[in-house]
Amino acid sequence: MPLAAIALLALAVHGPLLLMQLPAVSTGGSAQIFLAQHYSQSWFNPWNEKWFAGFSQTSYPPLTQQWVALISRVMSLTAAYMVVQLFAVILLALGAFRFARLWVDERSASFAAIGSIFLGSLSMLVYQSGQLPATAATALALHGVSYLYGWSRSAKVLSLIKGFLLLIAAATADHVTALFGIILFAIPAVVLAITDRNDSESSERTSSAAVLIRAAVMVGLVAISATIVLAPFWSSFLSPQQQIPLPDGSRDNLLLNFSSAVRYWLIPMGAIVLALPYLFISGLAERRLRPLFFAFYVAMVLGLGGTTPVARVVLGRFYESFSMDRFTFWATLLALPLLGELATRLIERYSVKATIALAVAAVLTFSIPLAYVTAHPPSTNPFRTEPIANFLNRDNHDRFRYLTLGFGSQFAELATRANASTVDGDPSVARVLPEVAGFGAAHFDMARNYGSAGMESLRAVLKHASQYGLKFIFVRDRYYEPLLAFAGWRQIESYENGNVTLWSKEDVPPLKKIEPVNPISWFERMTWGLVPMLCSILAITLMIFFPERRRVMAEPIPFPSAETQAHRMQEAR
Amino acid sequence: MKILGLFLAIILTFASAAFAQDLQVPQNAVAGEGASISTSGSGSATFYLTGPGTSLKRDFKRGETISLSADDLAYAGRYTAALDGGGAQSFFVTAAKPAKLNFMARPSRVPVAHPDVISGVVFVLDRNDNLITTPTTVNFQLGIAGSAPTTRPLQSKNGIAWIKAGSGNREGAAQFTASVGDISAKRVVQQVASDPCNLRMKAQADGKNIQLQTEPIKDCSGNAVPDGTIVTFSESAGGRGRSTVDARVKHGVARATLPSVPGATLTVASGVVLGNEIRWSGGQ
Amino acid sequence: MRLGSIVMIVLLLVLIGAGTVQTKSLHISANTPETALQSFFAQVKAKHWDDAFAMVQPGSGVEKESFIKDLGGNNESLKTISALQDVKTKILRESGNESDLRADLQWSTAVGALHESRDFKLVNDEGQWKIVWTPPAKNDGPPKPLPTTYLRWDVVQRGSSRDEWGVQNVEPPRMRIISMNAIEYQGGVTILGEVVNEDTVPGFVTINAILLDKDGNSIAEESSFDKISHTLLPKEISPFRVDFANRKLADVKSVRISPTNILVPAAADPVVGVFNQRIEKDPNGKSILRGELVTQGGQTVNIPHVLATFYDQSGKVIWVSDGYVDKALLPQQAVPFAVDLRDDLAGQVQNYRITVNYYNSNRS
Repeated sequence: MPLAAIALLALAVHGPLLLMQLPAVSTGGSAQIFLAQHYSQSWFNPWNEKWFAGFSQTSYPPLTQQWVALISRVMSLTAAYMVVQLFAVILLALGAFRFARLWVDERSASFAAIGSIFLGSLSMLVYQSGQLPATAATALALHGVSYLYGWSRSAKVLSLIKGFLLLIAAATADHVTALFGIILFAIPAVVLAITDRNDSESSERTSSAAVLIRAAVMVGLVAISATIVLAPFWSSFLSPQQQIPLPDGSRDNLLLNFSSAVRYWLIPMGAIVLALPYLFISGLAERRLRPLFFAFYVAMVLGLGGTTPVARVVLGRFYESFSMDRFTFWATLLALPLLGELATRLIERYSVKATIALAVAAVLTFSIPLAYVTAHPPSTNPFRTEPIANFLNRDNHDRFRYLTLGFGSQFAELATRANASTVDGDPSVARVLPEVAGFGAAHFDMARNYGSAGMESLRAVLKHASQYGLKFIFVRDRYYEPLLAFAGWRQIESYENGNVTLWSKEDVPPLKKIEPVNPISWFERMTWGLVPMLCSILAITLMIFFPERRRVMAEPIPFPSAETQAHRMQEAR
Repeated sequence: MKILGLFLAIILTFASAAFAQDLQVPQNAVAGEGASISTSGSGSATFYLTGPGTSLKRDFKRGETISLSADDLAYAGRYTAALDGGGAQSFFVTAAKPAKLNFMARPSRVPVAHPDVISGVVFVLDRNDNLITTPTTVNFQLGIAGSAPTTRPLQSKNGIAWIKAGSGNREGAAQFTASVGDISAKRVVQQVASDPCNLRMKAQADGKNIQLQTEPIKDCSGNAVPDGTIVTFSESAGGRGRSTVDARVKHGVARATLPSVPGATLTVASGVVLGNEIRWSGGQ
Repeated sequence: MRLGSIVMIVLLLVLIGAGTVQTKSLHISANTPETALQSFFAQVKAKHWDDAFAMVQPGSGVEKESFIKDLGGNNESLKTISALQDVKTKILRESGNESDLRADLQWSTAVGALHESRDFKLVNDEGQWKIVWTPPAKNDGPPKPLPTTYLRWDVVQRGSSRDEWGVQNVEPPRMRIISMNAIEYQGGVTILGEVVNEDTVPGFVTINAILLDKDGNSIAEESSFDKISHTLLPKEISPFRVDFANRKLADVKSVRISPTNILVPAAADPVVGVFNQRIEKDPNGKSILRGELVTQGGQTVNIPHVLATFYDQSGKVIWVSDGYVDKALLPQQAVPFAVDLRDDLAGQVQNYRITVNYYNSNRS
């Protein structure tokens, strides 16, 4: 199947859903749009005053936000987000093909690419979690790892350049992919390169050490470059600031918690669950496929979260920093080459029946997550944030800071619309205010979910409302009302038929601007603003204008049968 | 605008130096009343007038009298009249007779029988809101319906007159009036009851409880303290603990129920004012 | 390679088993009194009331409904918006088939962390330890609703567009700080005092304090936050406490107190009586001020907040402490409360006064 057809299929499947802007209300989608808004207004200045009373956007890798910001020049931010997400999905399908092609024949790889479009884990990440950075970074990593294989195995310089640029772009899109995802994909690819090193037509023999050294050169270059480009990010990411772990179903023991098992494992895996026995058998049957199987195995075990002790041990302090569902996503991607091969075999053997069964399985795997998202929307009982933003944008109300309580995913939506600044922010870019350092970083909007530490953090910041110019608090969850009433706030307004109430404090002076904390140098600003975009643009340009020659697998060609008629029994004479 | 102003000033300066004798400005112009400026010479000229909130230009023939309307001289202050080929002279326009009083009274609510708690400030203005700086007698009057008001006449200084007055002995809405001639401005100052005075309660046994009730609570001037005022009833029984109720005054009295503890001391207070004490013997 | 597959599957099952055992260790059994109590509170934490009630000794005289109300709260009390965060158990006495245990419970509530210490008796019932649940003290009959006819103040603001100059809205009520005391406590500075509403209308007050050094520069700024009763009716007195962490009194030359007060709508009810107030020692030997709250009107109070002011012999405020009551106050029904008193001050306390603040879910 040509690559264009795969891209068109991805466009046909995800295009309408993204046109409906389903991820706009997802958990992370609105936060990404907010961050993109800042780049659209101030590309080279990472200091954003609208969250945490001022924070540096270098606390989150910038690539996808910068793409959204760039495209928002010709359309709205939300539409730009959808365009970038669509592009990431298409790139992922092509990446899945390219990666699968390392392991299996072209037909199986095509099935793998088609499978990637219908992955339940992808649907959950795109439409439930709004993980544009993770999906884009994984797509870039899949392509990059394929070039890592090419460079390691046959020392093609163009592969080195393309792989290098793609992996840098992946790292600047999502740090978790940079830390864990690339490793999960790269290690089996390098081992495969060692295995395949002498399979080419050329008579030149290559040693394992040479392959390893080439791989190390490329990975080393990527690591050094990513460290330099993302230097401001690493310094904040690796700082010892504590984050209060937010209860997350992906870290539950899925055996003991059925709803978490459904949300974080069964739905993302979809029909792949039925193919697990095949994956175990065929993945280990052929020596060449074993590295892929082991990578799948590790990703799957990590994706099981608290069901096994592995994730906690391997991820250490990062265990509670992010959701485990992306490991399941990577596991499903790593399983795709084997599943593509399974599809080829089934279709060869059962033809139409198998085709229908596989199509039904793919559609169900894709549609059940969408049904789940509809049944469990990220924002229950959504409301209009325009009236609240209008209040903040008029009569100099933006001279004060505000706080939301219980807005959920619409917190970032309001932040995007309002000119005013809040003392809160998305936990993914957590900056700890000095007042709450003792309790750890928490998203005040959902303080109750963090238990005592969250509520104590909220109390601490409310105590210092005057210092932060925190005058307005919008409450959507009545749980917080007693605290506000006892602490001296008074309800002055209500919105959306009382769904949201506005609380105010009389004696709060206007906000004082907070000077940038640890401002970054001019060089860092330039590299942060330019390198991620340049790497991604260059890599994609090179991929389009200097495509790789299709690799012809050394596989036996079946000799055509001379006789098409059925054998007749003939008596020997 | 600055360039235009500069240009105009240069013209006026030159004109003033050369042709001052061409203009005869009014000596006793009053704001809001018309005036006329006579000129001499012959030929056409342009007349300029600048003053507070006023700037006008008019073509005329030398030797004629220039009439200025009431609107042209609406605001009091220094005006300059000039001719492009004639001369320039300044004259003053004074405020007209009092027509309006801006009266600010503070506070809006005062306890009764307190000296110097009410302040009133009056700005005496003419009908065009010009401050009348010439001394004017302002009569301040403070009184409550049904009693004789207190009146004090005061001279304004630079257009402002002010007074500090004490509150009366009776609660109610006091009319605070400032008047100049037949012009007056009225404000209401609510006189409210002061701290309770002679706070007294009585106790009555009610089964296992004591019913406590104050006598009608009044301030030292005899005004009933308003409903809703907090009255604290306490019962102290040494080592057997104590009980308190912050009761609200309702219909002039406060009531509370406390557990009956023989030998307990019952006290009553409102704010920082203490009332009588009762030694509870158990209802006998 | 079948063997390899089997090995990988077995490894996966072992890992899952290890993870499950680790998780299950939290869901411990009822083989010992302490594990039984831990297990019981694990069910309470998960709000698995049926499972928790199953661990209560039958015949304790407690009904399931009242058991759930006792632990989960009702009438929109603070307990209804609380979650059990942590439990520490300690055996007080163990003899044969009976044990007395103390559970120190930490609740995460809508107003912050709340600590509760509760004693339990457990009995061995055929190898399983069961909790003898003490039913909450019965009040005399159901709540008696009384008509509420107290005064209510509303604030009507003037329109501003066509007002005559100098005409004003009603002024904020007069508030006066009647006492103030600065002390050093736990490595910080604390400002204590009392404020009274001297006016005839209700007011909403907040106390802000700024510490100034010898040059008159501001060192730190804090507010009374919830250590005050913000809404004060006419002649009502509230204590206040402003805490400055990590400050030394020696560095402070003066304190600038700025009360902010505004006129607010308010209702004169509910009237809450505070009965049987006494200073005692709790089982851990800490000084506490106990008492009972009773509403004398007909209104339910959802979340009461108790503020205690302690005075020394000279009548000076030496400490202000507060505590939230996790039960709602129903008309005429007594609800116990306890607030901490600093042990080092217990000997100096000559007098104390209790102010009851409250939050009602239906108030705007």
